[in-house]
Amino acid sequence: MINEFSNSLHLLGSSHQIADMAARERLSLPPEKIDDFYNGLKNLPGLDECLLLNTCNRTEVYGASHSSFSPQVLQQYLGEFCKIESEFLKRYCYQHSGEKVVEHLFGVASGVDSQMVGETEILGQVKKAYDDACVRNTSGKILNRLFQKGFQAAKWARTNTGISRGQVNLGNVLCELSRRIFGKISNCRLLVVGSGDVAESAMEAFKSRGSQAITITGRTFDWCPLSRRKPDELAEKYEAFALSFSQLKKSLHLFDVILTSTASGQALINLEDILSCMKKRPAKPLFLIDAAVPRNIEETVAKAENVFLYNMDDVSEIANENLKTRMAEVDRCKTALSQRALRLWEQMSDYSNPPSSITQSINPQS
Amino acid sequence: MNFNDARDLFWLSGGFYGIAFLIGFLKNFRREIPSFRNVPLFSIAFGFLLHTRGLYLRGLEIQGCPLGNSLERIQFIIWSLILAYLILRIAWRLNLLGTFCAGLATFIGWFSLLLPNGDFPYWLAEDYTRLFSNPWIELHASIAIFSYGIFSLLTIVSSMYLVQKKALLSRKYDLLGSFLPPIHDLEHAAFRLLSIGVSFLTLSIVVGGMHWTRHPEFVTSTKLTITIILWMGYCSLFFLRFSNRLYGSRFAKTSIVLFFVAIFSLSFVSSKIREVSATWMPSTIHLKL
Repeated sequence: MINEFSNSLHLLGSSHQIADMAARERLSLPPEKIDDFYNGLKNLPGLDECLLLNTCNRTEVYGASHSSFSPQVLQQYLGEFCKIESEFLKRYCYQHSGEKVVEHLFGVASGVDSQMVGETEILGQVKKAYDDACVRNTSGKILNRLFQKGFQAAKWARTNTGISRGQVNLGNVLCELSRRIFGKISNCRLLVVGSGDVAESAMEAFKSRGSQAITITGRTFDWCPLSRRKPDELAEKYEAFALSFSQLKKSLHLFDVILTSTASGQALINLEDILSCMKKRPAKPLFLIDAAVPRNIEETVAKAENVFLYNMDDVSEIANENLKTRMAEVDRCKTALSQRALRLWEQMSDYSNPPSSITQSINPQS
Repeated sequence: MNFNDARDLFWLSGGFYGIAFLIGFLKNFRREIPSFRNVPLFSIAFGFLLHTRGLYLRGLEIQGCPLGNSLERIQFIIWSLILAYLILRIAWRLNLLGTFCAGLATFIGWFSLLLPNGDFPYWLAEDYTRLFSNPWIELHASIAIFSYGIFSLLTIVSSMYLVQKKALLSRKYDLLGSFLPPIHDLEHAAFRLLSIGVSFLTLSIVVGGMHWTRHPEFVTSTKLTITIILWMGYCSLFFLRFSNRLYGSRFAKTSIVLFFVAIFSLSFVSSKIREVSATWMPSTIHLKL
C-alpha cells in the first residue's frame, strides 16, 4: 500500500546514466526558456513546490505536493514544453516518488551519481538550482528541508568517504602535485609554454586556486600571428603575463612550475638549461611537466637535484589511480547515503514504520 | 598500575602516545570517526603529563636530573620531542607530525623499558653521590637533552621529507605522499628546527663550559671531545644549509645520520657514572635487586 505522503515528493529527470549526449541535448532547457518552464510548472494542478536542476549532464524536475498529484502530469508537461514525444521520454527519463527522491538527490549532490564520480561542481549546481527556486518562490517547506539535508549529506559523504579523494582532472592533478611540492598554489609561479588543452586546463586549475603569477609563452608569439590559438589569447583569458619565447631559457629560474605543451617536435629545455637554472635557485624545487608529444623536455633533466619531471603518461596514470580509488568507495557511500535518506524520509513522513516508496520508471527496462 | 612509580608511568604514557598514533594514523587515511577528531592531540597531551610526572618522580628518587642510565636518557629525549611538538602545535596544525612523533615515542619508549640493564638503579649504590650537585650542570644537561628532542623532531621531519620526495620521484599514485606536507615546507621546517636545536645545544655547551672551567676533573676527555665533535657537526650542517651548499635529500640524510651519532654519543657523555657503577654493580646491585 502506498501511503499518502510518499506521493508528496516527485522527480522526473534524465541524466548521463540513461541518456546519451544527443538525448540530453533534446531534454536540456536553454537559459532563456527557464522562466517559461517555471511558469508552466507553477500552474500544474496539485503541484505545490517545484525545482529545476538543469546541468550539462542532467535535467531534473523536483516537485512536492500536499494534495493528490499525478506524476504523469509532470511527464506530459515536459514533453509538451520540449516538444518531445512520449516514447522518447519513456526511453530516456526516470521517475521517482517518495523516499527514492531523497536517495536520488543525496546521490546527485554528493557526486556519487556524477559522470566523474566525486566531482564537486555538481554540489554548486544543485545549490544554484535551489537558490533559483527560492528566488522564484517555488521551493517551500518540503523542498527546503529536502535540499538542506541534501547539502549536509553531500558534505558528509565528501568528508567521511573516499569518493572525492584524489584529483581526476589533469589540471587538478597537476595542482595537487604542485601542492605536494610547494604547498600553497597561490604562491606558485607557473610558466606555460604553448597553448594546448592541457596547458589551458592547468591554467584554469591554478587560477581557480588563487595563483596570481601565471605566465605564458609560445613560439607563435614571434612568428605565427595567424595561429588558430595563440598564447596571448590564453594570457588575456586567464589574466596571465606574456613572455617572449626568446627569453624562455634565461627566465626558467623565475618559475616554480613549468609546463610545456608545444608541437615543436623537439626538446625546448635540456639538462644544461636546468642545471644553469638550478644554480640560481639551488634549494628551491622545480616542477616540470612535459605535456607534449614528442617531448619538449629532455628526460635527463630528471637527474638534477630538486627537479621533478612528469610527462603526460605519469599524470594520466595518477588520475586513473585516483578514479579507481573513488570508484571503490561508491558502494560504501551509496549504502550510507541510502540509510541517511531513509532516516530523513521517516522524519518527513512522520511514520513510525518506514513507508514503502514507489519507484516508477517510465521505462520498465531502465 | 602504580601512579607513584616512574616506570609504570612511562609504560602508561607510551600507551597514550600509542593511542594517538593509531587514531591519528586512521584519521589521516580517512577512516575518521567524527567524535575522535581531537583524541590524538588530547591523548598526546595526557601522555605528556604522565610522562612529566614519571620523570619528576624519578628525579626526586635520584635527587637530580634523571639522565643516569639509558632508560632515563631515552625517556628524557622522548619527553623533549613531545614538548617540542606541542610547542610547535600551538603555532601550526601539524597533525601528521604529531602522529609520527606519537608513533616514535611509543615504540622507542617501550623499547627502552624492555632494554636489559637499561634501567640499572645506580642511585641505590652506597657510594652514590648526586651527579648533578651543581645547578648549572643540571641546567646544562636539561638544555642539552632538550636540544636532542629538537634534533629528534628534525629527524622525523627529514624522514617525512625523504618519503615525500621518494613518492614524488616515483611518479606514481601514492596514498601516504598525498597526506604528507609539501617538501618545500618540510625543508623549511627542518632548517628552522636545526637552527633552534643548534642554539640550544650551543647554550648548553656554554653553560656546561662554565662548570668545566671550575671543575675540569668532572669531565672526561672522551666526553669533551665527543661533545665538541657533535656540536661542530651540527654547526657545520647549519652553515652548509644556510649557505645553500647542502640541501634537499642530502641535507635530510645528513640530519638523520647526525642524530644517530648524537644518540650513540650519549653513552660516552656520562662516562663518570659508568666508571662508578662498574665498581659496585656486581656486588651491590644484585644484592639489592
